[in-house]
Amino acid sequence: MPSSHLILCRPLLLLPPILPSISVFSSEATLCTRWPKCWSFSFSIIPSKNKEHPGLISFRMDWLDLLAVQGTLKMPSLPLCAFLLRFHHTTPVACCFSKTLSGEKYTDPFKLGWRDLKGLYEDIRKELFISTAELKEMSEYYFDGKGKAFRPIIVVLMARACNIHHNNSRNVQASQRAIALIAEMIHTASLVHDDVIDDASSRRGKHTVNKIWGEKKAVLAGDLILSAASIALARVGNTTVISILTQVIEDLVRGEFLQLGSKENENERFAHYLEKTFKKTASLIANSCKAVSVLGCPDPAVHEIAFEYGKNVGIAFQLIDDVLDFTSCSDQMGKPTSADLKLGLATGPVLFACQQFPEMNAMIMRRFSSPGDVDRARQYVLQSDGVQQTTYLAQRYCHKAVREISKLRPSPERDALIQLSEIVLSRDK
Amino acid sequence: MSLRQLLLRLPRYLGASGPLRGPLDTISSVISWRGQSSRSPAQWSQVVSEAEKIVGYPTSFMSLRCLLSDELSNIAMQVRKLVGTQHPLLTTARWWREDGEQCSFQMSRSKGLVHDSQNNLQLRGLVVLLISKAAGPNSVNASCQNYDMVSGIYSCQRSLAEITELIHTALLVHRGIVNLNELQSSDGPLKDMQFGNKIAILSGDFLLANACNGLALLQNTKVVELLASALMDLVQGVYYENSTLAKENHITDDIGISTWKKQTFLSHGALLAKSCQAAMELAKHDAEVQDMAFQYGKHMAMSHKINSDLQPFIKEKTSDSLSFNLNSAPVVLHQEFLGRDLWIKQIGEAQEKGRLDYAKLRETIKAGKGVTSAIDLCRYHGNKALEALESFPPSEARTALENIVFAVTRFS
Repeated sequence: MPSSHLILCRPLLLLPPILPSISVFSSEATLCTRWPKCWSFSFSIIPSKNKEHPGLISFRMDWLDLLAVQGTLKMPSLPLCAFLLRFHHTTPVACCFSKTLSGEKYTDPFKLGWRDLKGLYEDIRKELFISTAELKEMSEYYFDGKGKAFRPIIVVLMARACNIHHNNSRNVQASQRAIALIAEMIHTASLVHDDVIDDASSRRGKHTVNKIWGEKKAVLAGDLILSAASIALARVGNTTVISILTQVIEDLVRGEFLQLGSKENENERFAHYLEKTFKKTASLIANSCKAVSVLGCPDPAVHEIAFEYGKNVGIAFQLIDDVLDFTSCSDQMGKPTSADLKLGLATGPVLFACQQFPEMNAMIMRRFSSPGDVDRARQYVLQSDGVQQTTYLAQRYCHKAVREISKLRPSPERDALIQLSEIVLSRDK
Repeated sequence: MSLRQLLLRLPRYLGASGPLRGPLDTISSVISWRGQSSRSPAQWSQVVSEAEKIVGYPTSFMSLRCLLSDELSNIAMQVRKLVGTQHPLLTTARWWREDGEQCSFQMSRSKGLVHDSQNNLQLRGLVVLLISKAAGPNSVNASCQNYDMVSGIYSCQRSLAEITELIHTALLVHRGIVNLNELQSSDGPLKDMQFGNKIAILSGDFLLANACNGLALLQNTKVVELLASALMDLVQGVYYENSTLAKENHITDDIGISTWKKQTFLSHGALLAKSCQAAMELAKHDAEVQDMAFQYGKHMAMSHKINSDLQPFIKEKTSDSLSFNLNSAPVVLHQEFLGRDLWIKQIGEAQEKGRLDYAKLRETIKAGKGVTSAIDLCRYHGNKALEALESFPPSEARTALENIVFAVTRFS
């Protein structure tokens, strides 16, 4: 419906497709700032009598961008210009966009999350309370503050979002923060073991534990971190949470096993790939989100929302990771690329490419072990639309995540989680 | 074929796994329990089978439940590829046989010594079950009355026994990882070792994951904390075992017996002690009972380890090429009596062209006070274990626990 409202918009998300500013002038004095449904809108500006804004501008913003837009009111001092704002209804999602409770502006979910995570790595190191100097050094090696801490950020943001949804509580419980630590520790323990399994020599821009101290000690360091995480988990004192997170430990191992095997049937391969992706990456995020929601809110529907958000973001995250293995160059990632192919792994882009180039089947079955396989496979992938397809799939998972999380009461943290899923898609390392 | 018969035949299956590397001696001497020389096998296996009757079923069926999974058949296939290679995993764990029949995990000694399939049958689990039975239900606290009980043991306690074995076995498997940059040409192709490492890590992790899930099912956070801290202790203990000095330079670590005791508690005592305590917690026994169970577990494990360390020194017929762990109790005690410098000198004298003559060194140690003090230490811990048992009411199970201590401390 056309409306003649005044909206001064200043996008808070710096997404490429948005123009730096949009101005709409109206004669009406009041502005309704409630957006009961999610709209994507295009608007066209009718040339007005006033020569100040000639020309036709029309573009489309989808609702993610809309969330970033903040409406304010301005009394026009200019003559009337009529604008047509056409609203198009997109997905019928119940989504409330209203002024956030705290009135806080945020630009970066990481900054928002870090407020609760100050001292994260120091606290993790305290959990690794052991007397042997070398073992301690090995175990603390990755807790140097240089990791992305992506998982803890999601966890604390989810914790707040759930707490606010439940009873408007603006606090993060100590037990919820502990889950953030535990998630990061479990993740790191699995990384240490994965590096030994893959015989990796570098991670996050430095040498791996196994390269410096040898495989035997690296395995022990991983076990140590895992045991410390389990102790911390026990101390949270909630048996449901313990069950949720021990499931993660099992999923991580099963995911590794799935990676060991390969399916002959092309159709099974994709399902196998997604299952492996869930177990190895998404399960930790999904279940940590679920765990903090259990601690913050008794409503099982909320637990489900948290889980679904984590799961979908997790899968998207891994899919993009797999894409980046083909598209990025090694100095950005901190670990070398075509790593997956070299390990014999057929990831999303490869599986899509194989549909266009059936000659890749043989290479997949022999796990790219013949000389020249890795390069040829890479070429096929880059020639095909494998990367685009995988990215598109990741987008769909992200959208699902956003739909889920939008069911929670609005808060800066909830919006940050929405923003995070965008960041997952657009990251380049 | 019954499981027991299968296990008795195991030595033949294990057969030709080829010459093994030095570290395995460390592994096997630290872990396994030779029942043959110092006490008659009939006596020891009698003790064990009596004990098993008391707890209601042979403990060798434990940790089989987690074997019922696709992953492990996957592993079994992969492990078969290791046959003919020299990866330690082949010798520290025994997987499914060709026809898919399930075996419990076994430990073997290196260099073709007779395999004692009876004696290594998941001792920890057996002790946990026995102590659960010996403590009985908590007469004061009625909250456990809804738990089901078989042969006087709650099912959660049986679960716990299984979890203990899982944790122990997981670390056993993880001990078999090899350092790739230390390999020599005699170890065979690099990729075999890499593959073996991969499987070893995954299998160990799989067992740990099952242990964690089992712990979660117990729905008791204190027990989870106890076992998780036992795991942490165990990891540190295993770390100490991998001492480079002993392996590379053929020297004992520069530690006295008290440090040795601390390290051995971590690598051997902690798991059993905390597991026994956890078993009491599951039955809601009070702190005092829990502590007694802890003490029994700790001291029994210590005397078991010392007994195991003493084997090379007290057998009548010694196979001359038998090596022993330079960080074992008698050797550490010997070093402490002599002083480090003199001991290093003795080691030097026993070396011929850079290779250690174990037979000669053994005689040197036997001539000193190391062996006798180790025997005393073993008995000391045995007595402490018995003392801890006194607070439990007399029962078959308690007698069985006492018999285990007697068997471990008998040296004639």
